[in-house]
Amino acid sequence: MKRDGDIIVGVDLGTTNSLVAFADAAGPRLIAGEGGEDDVIVPSFVRFEADGRTIVGKGARDHAVEHPLETVYSIKRLMGRGTADLAEEVRRLPYRVEKLSGAEGRDVAAVAAGGRMWTPPQVSALILAELKRRAEAHFGCDVTKAVITVPAHFDDAQRQATRDAGVIAGLEVVRIVNEPTAAALAYGLDRSASATIAVYDFGGGTFDISLLRVEGGVFEVLAVDGDTHLGGDDLDRTLIDLFSREIREQSGHDIDSPVIRQQLRSLAEAVKVRLSEEDRTSVEIAVGGAFTYRRQVTKAELEALIAPFVDRTLEACRRALKAAKRSASEVAEVVLVGGSTRVPLVRRAVGELFGRRPYTALNPEHVVALGAAVQASILAGRRQDLLLLDVTPLSLGIETLGGAVGKLIGANTRVPCKAVETFTTFQDGQTAVKINVLQGERELAADCRSLGMFELRGIPPMPAGIPKVEVTFLIDANGILNVSAREVRSGAEASIQIVPSHGLTREEVRRMQHEAIEHAREDMSAHHLIDVRATVEFDLNKAERMIREHGVLLAPADRASLSEAAAALRALARESSDARLINEHREAFNRRLIPLAEKALTAALKT
Amino acid sequence: MSQCVECGAVLSVPICCDHCGAIFDPQPGTDHFSLLGFSRAYALDEERLAQNFRRLTAKVHPDRHAQRSEEVQARATRLTADLNRAYAVLSDGVRRADYLLELTGGPTAAEERGVPGDLLAEVMEVREALEQARGVGDRRTIERLRQVNESKRRQTLDEIAALASGIETASVRQRRRLRLLLNALRYFENLTTELV
Repeated sequence: MKRDGDIIVGVDLGTTNSLVAFADAAGPRLIAGEGGEDDVIVPSFVRFEADGRTIVGKGARDHAVEHPLETVYSIKRLMGRGTADLAEEVRRLPYRVEKLSGAEGRDVAAVAAGGRMWTPPQVSALILAELKRRAEAHFGCDVTKAVITVPAHFDDAQRQATRDAGVIAGLEVVRIVNEPTAAALAYGLDRSASATIAVYDFGGGTFDISLLRVEGGVFEVLAVDGDTHLGGDDLDRTLIDLFSREIREQSGHDIDSPVIRQQLRSLAEAVKVRLSEEDRTSVEIAVGGAFTYRRQVTKAELEALIAPFVDRTLEACRRALKAAKRSASEVAEVVLVGGSTRVPLVRRAVGELFGRRPYTALNPEHVVALGAAVQASILAGRRQDLLLLDVTPLSLGIETLGGAVGKLIGANTRVPCKAVETFTTFQDGQTAVKINVLQGERELAADCRSLGMFELRGIPPMPAGIPKVEVTFLIDANGILNVSAREVRSGAEASIQIVPSHGLTREEVRRMQHEAIEHAREDMSAHHLIDVRATVEFDLNKAERMIREHGVLLAPADRASLSEAAAALRALARESSDARLINEHREAFNRRLIPLAEKALTAALKT
Repeated sequence: MSQCVECGAVLSVPICCDHCGAIFDPQPGTDHFSLLGFSRAYALDEERLAQNFRRLTAKVHPDRHAQRSEEVQARATRLTADLNRAYAVLSDGVRRADYLLELTGGPTAAEERGVPGDLLAEVMEVREALEQARGVGDRRTIERLRQVNESKRRQTLDEIAALASGIETASVRQRRRLRLLLNALRYFENLTTELV
């Protein structure tokens, strides 16, 4: 395949759906799959088959009910998280989540499916690989670079995990962009005079509110707020909980099973979608035995259930307004992003808060990918008229004596940003210092999220308190932390060993990348083998028919040996898994068939 | 003013060349003021500060150099971080005064932790009065306390601005006074959040 370094695609790696887009001179466009122009969404579902094959997208989503244990969805909610964070979540998932083994000192959640463990970046990488494949089919060349979006409120570990997913999928992640910011770019809500706009992004698993100042092509984020664990999944869950409680009460049995969980999940989502259009809908679900659960659900009932979640989003909006020092009435435009903004209650509530009708010209499920493509075109140097200036969503700090947090960088600080802090030693001759780096707004280290232990090494041995190690904490334009250190007196670069609390080490990412390549090759050869076997079967059927009908034209010995060769080829195709070997024998067999074919043709011409 | 090492043009700001677009790490000792094209003084045109910040950011931001070498990209990230920091400090009157005081020899917050005269006693009195008013639900007293606190905060801000404006010729006593006032602000701000 030819390479084209200019191609940087924009990817929306969503909780529920993922999309890929590209922007050229004509503007951003979604890249469709084989299903035609409207086939732009790849559901973020992966099924792990027992034979090691993986099925990504619609094929996995549509059969999730039959394969509850093997079908992984909402993997985004697991990115950069530990099992301790997810205890509540995991109880409701039909698939199995465990602590990654062999990760001492860390708590990394992983999925157990298809007879092995998969970390969330690996699962996400399979979705990215499908998007990459689509893009490559579209362009007819390798696509190796991407801009990937994340919720604005994603912390460092979640961003790192997203970048790791890209690397594993064979993509250089040129930039991690915040979803609401990308949406603002896609809307092109650019003004010549300065204006404040709000992007309300309520997706499948996350919620973000971003306030931006736009003027002359510069999109400047003023403040973000949100919740990385608040989305359409939570709205669905209110219905799931309602249905399961009633089923339990009415049937008298606890009917929890992976299949039921997956069925209820699909049902709840369908009910939510139907009630966006209608005032009432009926549900029916056979839960085994003779019992069938039936019920009417009204829109009012659903709205009462989900109101607390909508209120939480409004709280976040108010906090963001306060941080941006703006009042709701100063907001000139409110843009809705994400599938959950299709819920009428959400639109109403947002409209009331900002005192204006939200703007929804673009499909809320497409707009993030389109914006990512615009940002990709900026990074490729094709758009010089636009610029995104974003902020870090969370405060960055370090644990100080007594378990308090020493804040280094405040939330909503423009990125890139940096802070420099000096550390020293407590013991004579001490050559290493450990720093616990934290993210969050709380006062105590225990209440914040630890990004990891950063161990400074190579400090020249000196009496206690004498070395001065200057550590630079730099948050780059991706919102990802980079740390470097220097001993001031000696000028020596101190090395930093990082043990991420909830993430993968670089070695692990590299290993997983190789595995993924290997897996793709096996997958491809598996497909290839299936194809070759089918061709063999087709050729053999044709040959056998010819032998049956025209075999009399051959000497009996020749006829017998030809039949033997056919049987041998069939056996080889069945037993060997070497596609090339089978194909060579198929071709050889077809050559042996030529004399008979010629005789048959001559005979046919004579009559 | 120095010259661009790439094209030789005269540099109007120390970090990028208007002529060829090259970006440079600033000379050691470049302060926030010169980084944003200002001379070292408290009074500044905030409109022009914002304009300079946006214009420079548009030139040095990593998005503008994503196709360049890793070294240039790293430099773009560093420079933009520097600009962001400089702008955050200079666009805020209090942080600007604090920075200017530190830049011209202090005392810094670490060197002088004190607050003016009876501030601590006053704050304690306000807290006591607040507690009493809360106890009996006396909204009017709370509102009065809030107004007094707000006016003291404003007075302090005004005095900070006046002292910072004359920092070049300020006496040791005046410099110390500026530090005490800067330290005091935190107390007024804490009270503001309590007095609701």
